[in-house]
Amino acid sequence: MSLAKPAMRGLLAKRLRFHLPIAFGLSLVAAAAFKFAVTEPRKQAYADFYKHYDSTKEFNAMREAGVFESVRPTGK
Amino acid sequence: SGSISSDCLWSFSSTASVAARSYSHGKQETDEEFDARWVTYFSKPDIDAWELRKGMNTLIGYDLVPEPKILEAALRACRRLNDLASAIRILEAVKDKAGPHKEIYPYVLQELRPALNELGIPTPEELDIDKA
Repeated sequence: MSLAKPAMRGLLAKRLRFHLPIAFGLSLVAAAAFKFAVTEPRKQAYADFYKHYDSTKEFNAMREAGVFESVRPTGK
Repeated sequence: SGSISSDCLWSFSSTASVAARSYSHGKQETDEEFDARWVTYFSKPDIDAWELRKGMNTLIGYDLVPEPKILEAALRACRRLNDLASAIRILEAVKDKAGPHKEIYPYVLQELRPALNELGIPTPEELDIDKA
């Protein structure tokens, strides 16, 4: 019982035609997932932090804590 | 041809099953013309060792498993060159080219069996050198 002739040409092309769109799609999905799971929450966290940030108040708190060399704590 | 249908994507030499050069002009060679050209190449009576190696390496670079008739011409060239090692290596290369398509190598051996017997070429399996 002899074997039938299988396909012998273009096997890589066939494989790429199948897998490259999937690879491309999965890469896009991975990038989108990272953007929405990491980048956007991070940006939002910064935005939320700075929305009501009072830099003068924070500066004075740091000044009183004595971490600066350029200005001394008030008083004394 | 699927979702990627640009011709240029498929004509770099490593995946070209027909064009050895990536011209988009000129008549496309048919599979039969390709096969005939390679049978002629290996059938040269005074082919030398370099031409055998060059031919095989070029052929292996294409996105295809060579037709049995091309391989038979190559094996006969090995016979003319008294090069049994290359003959067996050609069989190993065919198996490797088939990759995951396990039905190709047995088919090729089936088609080559008369020539293998005539030329006295053992297969890697018969020599037990096919496994690591």
